[in-house]
Amino acid sequence: MKTKSGVRKFFKRLTYSVSLLLMFLSSESFAQADTSRTLKEVKVSTSSIPQVQTVNPSQQVNADDFKRYNAFNVADAIKNFSGVSIKDYGGIGGIKTVSVRSLGANHTGVLYDGVQLTDAQNGQIDLGTINLDNVESITLFNGTSEDICQPARSFASSSILMIKTIWPRFESQKPTHLSLNYKTGSFGLINPSFVWQQRISKQWSFSMANNWQKANGRYKYKVDGDGSDTLATRNNASLESLQSNASLFWSRNDSNRFHFRINYYRADRGLPGAVVYYNPTSNQHLWNRDLFLQSGYEKQWDNGFHLLLNAKYAKNYIRYLDPDFLNEAGELNQKYTQTEIYQSAALSYALSKNWEISYSSDVTWNALKTNLVNYDYPERFTYLNVLASRFSWNKYTFQGNLLNTHITEQIQTGSAAPSKTVWSPALSATYKPSEHSPFLIRAFYKDIFRNPTFNDLYYTRLGNRTLKPELAKQVNLGITYSKAYTHLLNYLTITADAYYNHVKDKIIAIPNKDLFTWTMLNLGKVEIKGLDLGIKTELPLSSSLQGSISGNYTYQEAIDITDPSSSVYLNQIPYTPEHTAAVNAGIHNNRFSLYYNQIVSSSRYFLRENLPENYVPGFTVSDASASYQFFAGGNAINFSTELNNIFNNSYAFIRSFPMPGRSVRFSFQIKI
Amino acid sequence: MKQLKLKFLLSSLLVLTILGSCKKDRIEDGSGTEPTAERQGIYVLSQGGINLNNSTLSYFDYDNRAFTFDQFNKVNNRGLGDTGNDVQVYGSKMYIVVNVSSTIEVVNARTAVSIKKIDVKNGTTARQPRSIVFDKNKAFISCFDGTVAVMDTASLTIDKYITVGRNPEGMAIANGKLYVANSGGLGWPNNYDKTVSVIDLTTLTETKKITVVDNPGSVVADQYGDVYVLSVGNYTTINASMAIIDSKTDVVKSQKDFTSGSIAISGDYAYITKWDGTVQLFNVKTELLEKENFISDGTSITSPYGVAVDDISGEVFVTDAKNYSTNGEVFCFDKTGTLRYRINVGISPSKVVFINK
Repeated sequence: MKTKSGVRKFFKRLTYSVSLLLMFLSSESFAQADTSRTLKEVKVSTSSIPQVQTVNPSQQVNADDFKRYNAFNVADAIKNFSGVSIKDYGGIGGIKTVSVRSLGANHTGVLYDGVQLTDAQNGQIDLGTINLDNVESITLFNGTSEDICQPARSFASSSILMIKTIWPRFESQKPTHLSLNYKTGSFGLINPSFVWQQRISKQWSFSMANNWQKANGRYKYKVDGDGSDTLATRNNASLESLQSNASLFWSRNDSNRFHFRINYYRADRGLPGAVVYYNPTSNQHLWNRDLFLQSGYEKQWDNGFHLLLNAKYAKNYIRYLDPDFLNEAGELNQKYTQTEIYQSAALSYALSKNWEISYSSDVTWNALKTNLVNYDYPERFTYLNVLASRFSWNKYTFQGNLLNTHITEQIQTGSAAPSKTVWSPALSATYKPSEHSPFLIRAFYKDIFRNPTFNDLYYTRLGNRTLKPELAKQVNLGITYSKAYTHLLNYLTITADAYYNHVKDKIIAIPNKDLFTWTMLNLGKVEIKGLDLGIKTELPLSSSLQGSISGNYTYQEAIDITDPSSSVYLNQIPYTPEHTAAVNAGIHNNRFSLYYNQIVSSSRYFLRENLPENYVPGFTVSDASASYQFFAGGNAINFSTELNNIFNNSYAFIRSFPMPGRSVRFSFQIKI
Repeated sequence: MKQLKLKFLLSSLLVLTILGSCKKDRIEDGSGTEPTAERQGIYVLSQGGINLNNSTLSYFDYDNRAFTFDQFNKVNNRGLGDTGNDVQVYGSKMYIVVNVSSTIEVVNARTAVSIKKIDVKNGTTARQPRSIVFDKNKAFISCFDGTVAVMDTASLTIDKYITVGRNPEGMAIANGKLYVANSGGLGWPNNYDKTVSVIDLTTLTETKKITVVDNPGSVVADQYGDVYVLSVGNYTTINASMAIIDSKTDVVKSQKDFTSGSIAISGDYAYITKWDGTVQLFNVKTELLEKENFISDGTSITSPYGVAVDDISGEVFVTDAKNYSTNGEVFCFDKTGTLRYRINVGISPSKVVFINK
């Protein structure tokens, strides 16, 4: 009932917000697409040189690269990226979030086909739950993305992780594509999946992807510090999940297309919990039931207009059970349901060949219901409006945007958090010495914030409705080199970006009165200085054999500058290594590929005080993969073996959450 | 004035020199400390952070003023585990109650060398022990699963679990009876227990439940046969309160609003911490609050967490948990409430115990 009234309210408000934009669009242009116009040419790059010369720093992995990194999910696929710290709670069902440039996971916006995945409750997206079956590419942008015709939300995070799924393309004689996959290996993993793409007519097609996995999640680990010298087994780590996706596509051509998608995710998992000395038992369990419906329409006119419409409905249900909780009921059984309705419209116009302007407007309605006692049942409207422009002049490119955010909330009883309006500017510039120069110099400034989550604002007793947004300022200066060669190397790309971030009004929990009375406050201040380096090259080893090497390095100094009289002043913030590096090297030909990957992290502190007792030693992890592909009767068949943590190193990202030792995964794929 | 400062500086320097190789920065204002003849030193139990396995047992030796951040780990080559909640010395042994790890660590009181680690579990499920008290050859351990474990102090085995109320916390012995505060703390935010179980120490059975104010936690007994029960309340509508139970009749003779944290009794005085950083001085003979703040020199404590009184020297030790996520401190005051010294210890220090020579 609540939801229904919410839906009504949503549409009522929507009419005000996007009406301005809709004035631009005649109903005629919606109804009929002009077929007489020439198909907008799609640039196909002849060289496989990765695109690094973007206005803002960007890093990308494509579907072909996933096996290089032994990637099983989105979190694995981006583990080598510069400036990225993954918080991995270990194992197959362990939560995996990313913090970019030490700003915290809440500052990373994750876009799935242009539409953000959100969690209004705690603001963090578990990237371990997104499988790679249907993913075409994953790109991380610091600041903003290249394209200014984007939903307003894509301007509203410190960094953007764009996950792009495959848009089916058919050759005339083959209306059906079927990819059958099977993965198995350590942790008792059984993982069948399929992707089915079907052409219905010249303009319509659909695809269906299903991924089911089941694993007991068990692995051996070494407990540090409890005096034991034998390995323990991680129990209650099972996972059973199903991700189903059905999409309908319509495209007249590349500049006039529509899609509609239903995505359902179901997961039941054991939560092994922290490894507590002398008490390894956990019987906690988590259930997820997530559904989203998403639709998008895009049209580019020859007169310079470009329209992008997106809409989404999402419902996420979580149930958490601790059957050992020592209260009167003998269990803790918490249920949370989040609902989101989202509408976005973006319109850009090319004033001239080198000047483009855009306006985007998003409206989102979020609500959270729980079975907690005395809960506030918050609802939130978020209005985002962005004006953006991109201008090239001679050797320079400038890109800038101004985002206006307006947030209003209401709760069932009492007064909700006051409404907020925030203006956030961003500006980027590049300089290329000459048209054919391999160098590009770039700089950006971005002022952005993260809004307090429902937990920050309304969690019973802990929440604080007067919280302000957490502000993050980013400054970046970088240089890139990108060149294709005719001999010795196919290409070489190098990127170097130095950055300075300043976070203020950081939302932190502070005890108030005693251990049991905490309040969320805008108290923290963090100063981050960092350096991201990346190098990538591919070289021909023989007429058919190619070698590839890539390396990334990150330096981060992220220090607490909240209070000079505090014991944590100028201390590195928790779980932030000063140095991280990743190297990937491999060889491949048409049939065979072999890759080696290594990640190195320097030591960290697990608490805010950089004291010896809070020290976590550095670690290194090595992975390798081998795959073999051949054709049989027109079908591509692929076998691959991935070996993770080859040297069986014992390590952890998060204290008390050990990562698995050596593990193996076998994959079989047939493309029909 | 100037001279005093100089003297202070010189003596601090001296202390620092003596400390030599031990962690110098851990102890501040060490001037004028004369160790009590009978005492060897103190142990401080710090809870650490939840799920971090960083509970520590710090040791401060009076003779050479040496400080060891984690004596337990140092001598046993393993950690205490997660959330050490109580520590008591009984005879030559010391008993450390580790809540989340669900163990009782029995150690040599002088050295902290482990004698036995006792699992307090129901099958594989943690019972979550909280506090420990002793009577003759028995140790009584309140467990969050609604029981009091009875342990033989010679064999170090748990012989019996007595069922009490929900989430029992503090305990005290008076008149041959054990008083157990049933907090119901996990009924947060609206379903607390509000009873005190009375256990007959000869039959080892619960004989009565006395009703007090919601969420009772600390329990202490005075020398006049009165049992003091401090209730936290429900943080909103029900205020924190103090109940005084007459152990002869097991009747609540007084129940008054009283804001409190931890309590320790020595002779006629109860020292009761309060969240605002003060230590209230309560006369148990007159049953009146004698001083709003025992601390007389203006020393400021951020988050007083535990309190202990040395019956011999009259020194009062108050632990400061600060923000419960960075290292805490222990403040030692003389009997007049003047700060003698302070020691930097682990996260959320909650208990101080005294070791004799």
